[in-house]
Amino acid sequence: MSPLDRRQFIKVTAVTGTAAALAACGNPEHQIIRFIPEDDLVPGVATWKPSYCPLCAAGCGVVARVMEGDAEVFRNGQAGVMRMALAKKLEGNPDDPVSRGKLCPRGQAAIQVTYHPDRVAEPLKRAGERGEARFVPIGWDEALAEVVAQLDALAAAGETAGLACVSRPRGPLRAALVARVLEGFGGRAPVAWEAMGDDVLRRANGVSFGSHAMPMVDLADSRYVMAFGADFLGTWHAPVTFGVGYGRMRQGRPGVRGKLVQVEPRMSTTGASADEWVAIRPGTDGVLALGLAHVMLAAGLRQASDAGRAGAAIAGWSEGLSEYTPARVEEITGVAAARVERLARELANHPPAAVLIGGPALAHTNGLFHALAVNALNALLGSVGQPGGLVVPPDVPAPASPAGLASLLEAAPTVLLLDEANPVFDAPPSWRVAERLRAIPFIVSFGSFIDETSAFADLILPDHSFLESWVDAPPAGSDSSPRVAGPVMRPLHRTRSMPDVLLDVSRRLARPLAGLPETFEAFVSAAAPATPASASGPSRARATADAPAAAAWAPPRFDGEAGEFPFHFLPYASQNFLDGSLAHLPWLQEMPDPLTSGMWSSWVEVNPRTAERLGIAQGDIVEVRSAHGVLRAPAVLLPSVGPDAVAMPVGQGHTEFTRYASGRGVNPLAILAPLTDEATGMPAWSATRVQITRAGSGDGSLILFAGATRERPDTHEGR
Amino acid sequence: MPPSRSSLAARLILPLAFVVLAATMACGVANSGGLAGVQERASGVSRWGTPAVFTPAHASAGAAIRAFFGLRAEARQPIDFSHRLHLDMGAACTDCHAGVEQGPVAGLPSVSTCLICHSQIATDRPTIQHITALAEQGLDLQWQRVYGWPREAHVRFEHAPHGRAGVDCATCHGNLAEQTVAVRAVDMDMAFCVNCHTARQASNDCLTCHY
Amino acid sequence: MPYRWGMAVDADRCTGCEACVTACHAENNIPTVGPEQAARGRAMHWMRVERYVEGDFPDVRVKFRPVLCQQCDAAPCEAVCPTYASHHTEEGLNAQVYNRCIGTRYCGNACAYNVRFFNFFNPVWEKPLNLQLNPDVSVRGVGIMEKCTFCVQRIKAAKTVVKAEGRALRDGELQPACAQACPTSAIVFGDLNDPESRVSRLARSPRGSKLLEETGAEPKITYLAKLAWDESDAR
Repeated sequence: MSPLDRRQFIKVTAVTGTAAALAACGNPEHQIIRFIPEDDLVPGVATWKPSYCPLCAAGCGVVARVMEGDAEVFRNGQAGVMRMALAKKLEGNPDDPVSRGKLCPRGQAAIQVTYHPDRVAEPLKRAGERGEARFVPIGWDEALAEVVAQLDALAAAGETAGLACVSRPRGPLRAALVARVLEGFGGRAPVAWEAMGDDVLRRANGVSFGSHAMPMVDLADSRYVMAFGADFLGTWHAPVTFGVGYGRMRQGRPGVRGKLVQVEPRMSTTGASADEWVAIRPGTDGVLALGLAHVMLAAGLRQASDAGRAGAAIAGWSEGLSEYTPARVEEITGVAAARVERLARELANHPPAAVLIGGPALAHTNGLFHALAVNALNALLGSVGQPGGLVVPPDVPAPASPAGLASLLEAAPTVLLLDEANPVFDAPPSWRVAERLRAIPFIVSFGSFIDETSAFADLILPDHSFLESWVDAPPAGSDSSPRVAGPVMRPLHRTRSMPDVLLDVSRRLARPLAGLPETFEAFVSAAAPATPASASGPSRARATADAPAAAAWAPPRFDGEAGEFPFHFLPYASQNFLDGSLAHLPWLQEMPDPLTSGMWSSWVEVNPRTAERLGIAQGDIVEVRSAHGVLRAPAVLLPSVGPDAVAMPVGQGHTEFTRYASGRGVNPLAILAPLTDEATGMPAWSATRVQITRAGSGDGSLILFAGATRERPDTHEGR
Repeated sequence: MPPSRSSLAARLILPLAFVVLAATMACGVANSGGLAGVQERASGVSRWGTPAVFTPAHASAGAAIRAFFGLRAEARQPIDFSHRLHLDMGAACTDCHAGVEQGPVAGLPSVSTCLICHSQIATDRPTIQHITALAEQGLDLQWQRVYGWPREAHVRFEHAPHGRAGVDCATCHGNLAEQTVAVRAVDMDMAFCVNCHTARQASNDCLTCHY
Repeated sequence: MPYRWGMAVDADRCTGCEACVTACHAENNIPTVGPEQAARGRAMHWMRVERYVEGDFPDVRVKFRPVLCQQCDAAPCEAVCPTYASHHTEEGLNAQVYNRCIGTRYCGNACAYNVRFFNFFNPVWEKPLNLQLNPDVSVRGVGIMEKCTFCVQRIKAAKTVVKAEGRALRDGELQPACAQACPTSAIVFGDLNDPESRVSRLARSPRGSKLLEETGAEPKITYLAKLAWDESDAR
């Protein structure tokens, strides 16, 4: 050919022919202002900085992989780009006693909190009606002046008790500082709110063991573990610590492989990993625990006096629990008498053994009884404080009583501070949270996201993300002081640390509050070692006040007549979103649920036999109706829920929670009955009965992950 | 032999069709598969004046076509920085490109790096006064990269191991002592890399560089 | 002797928690595709947890199995790739070379494990989510097939470090993201050419088996069977 070879010819013709025609597709490149980097980093080289995951109360120690990158930031009122240190990935901190170098899926996704596209980037002022979520930006000075004016007005009127604060459970130091500011002002004590919290168990532990701390199990050294409802490998308490221990319990000791028995009416991920799954009637767990104790006592395997204080909390304990014979246990719980006998002997004969209870098992009207029964069983086994047994950490302050949020709302505060709690979404509908928020004259949210509750706020003063601020986590391991870490990176947005904003406000008041630290950082540095000692005093006094009359079995009350509402409704904390506070993270939305592979969706778990009887096929829309509400969601057929129950993951159904969660799925908490645990006032979220009907064929809202290998894992059962 | 009219047409149309298709695929138009319900809010421009999403798609079909043929505009630097002058004065490459010996990226220095010396040296020159003024406003220089590969080459190059293997900076960047503002002196196509790897018995497995 | 990377997955430890799945997303710049595309089976999970539910209520047994690219020694995906984008490295990795890939998807069809994922669209990160992207890993565009790499960027980085420090790689020093995150340490990664490495010892376990071994693909991941409890082994 000519001097132009074929390749060049093609290139030339292609370029001249098409470049002009297609040049219009795209965005113009803007000239962007570039700021001088404030961090001194070697480009492309990672450094590691410690922090603590704030997504659940466990507070896993993490290390963030920090590298340099170009971020869009504001400086001196200008928008521009800056090379700065950016967290790239979170790993468990190997030196941390909670995470032990590991992390759960939610901890892995925690980094998306910082980089979320819908984070509140600057202070906002309400522009629409309460709950409409219409806001306009406002400067920090203006916003703070407004808060100060409201508080000054309260003080001038002598109504300082009108100041209240609701938060998610936070690190002890942050909570202590907030409490000090409110106390200094004369406001109400702050309330920590968690929809599926463990207040019932904490109170029971106060009674049984004199400590309101959450218990752990030394799984690594345990030979036999029985858990009632506690999804400790998935969502409950400290799944990472439990997971590390579980791995060692299974395969960490030559010749010894511990057994896991899971007792629950709906199989959780922990139940799926268990050696034996005991499907029990909802609300009867304590009866089985006492039945096991009865067998041990009757057979002389243990002495009643072994249980000490924990046993004394149970009516009829010293008489050998004569009411809890295996036959009677079978009658109440549905667990066969012979199985009760066998489980009791296994449990007694395989020390060290431990028993756990938590989650849905305690969300009944008789919740405290179950917790006390399990505590007594643990004490009888001699597992408390022993290697391989139940670990009860030193006392912490008792949870506010009863259900502090409900009484706070009833008291109708004048100024409400909201720290990432979302009760409009997850508090019992009977508390009428939205209605009561409407009546509060002034609400300030410190949330990083506009959710159903901060949509009611007059002002949103966005907090830094945990990676951008000082964080603290509860004490763990042998160390009794809170775990503390500094910021990993500079703030991306025009946010301010919530404790520092409170301190700033308290200085700007007409009568500034005295005796407060300059900054949260100063408070953390000064208070970290001192706090635990001072915290144990008042709570010990309260521990005795907890002690009720000896607990006796009372059948659980369920809402809804069994004839009209034949199914137990079992909402559960989802592996992806816990109580729904994490539904805004796209990685978690697209993470397949462990048992159903569901993504981006809500579903109702229905037993295949029930489904057949009602003509429901996988993916069909079912209507779930309680006496208090109705919802529609696609059905997933699973034998891991009984024919007399349906289960639903909690977490979806947000109306206002970022682009990823808003308008997606349904919220099972919205149809719950107003029942509470009678001893503690905590919501009994497992105590609602429902009816279900087929409402139509699938609408495509059930999204399951398609990928699978076509080989069953049981082809090799070698040992 | 001159090509017949029909075969010439075929030669024109096929590559044309291919390039148009490839360019459209590679540019933002193909983003209809993004998050449902998100497009509306995410589309457009953020308050920083940049697109509200990050995507490996090219900003335009023109950009896709240019990348396809390896056509890159010459880098335009904010100031006429003279490499020769600084090297003559005894500066080492690593004084300013501090990452070279430690990690994958050499790094482009910020104004702060300039001012380490120029807070004292040559402060009467207009350029130095310009960058001092920038620094006082907290602003940095907008350096443009001279070298680099298009994103779809998926090259993951690391400076430090090459330095440790004794590869001289000039091997890939030309003799900077002869350049003022750095220019693309070496064509870093794959043959350039592979030849050197072969000569030095370094791995030529694809995964060495592309992952 | 070159490395020969392998993995062992212990089903007796695995709890199906999916920490590995999210860790993989975070490490490898895997995009989320959104609900509409996910509903069409286009969600990308290099690592997935399969579940097998057996029996009827109340005698239900569930088994979890994390599945990722098996890095086969006789990989069917490699044989069918017209551009050699899918090829075998001397360290036994089943490499996917993105810049060679032209998106025929033959490899995805040939793979018996369903672990290859196709970019049907250019992925999108809504700013500033992109700031999380790992600079050590490519961001793949439309038309490219991708799959688990055994975190080749970490392998590369570890080899660079040991070479610079003039020492040998220690067993367990190098972990892919899934193994590092896994709370129960069900995933073990290492050098199969080192007979004393943990992964080599687990690969010889009598509990071990390979997935779909009968296809002759010679997968390199050993799955250790879940055990049933009996009273004797707790004594």
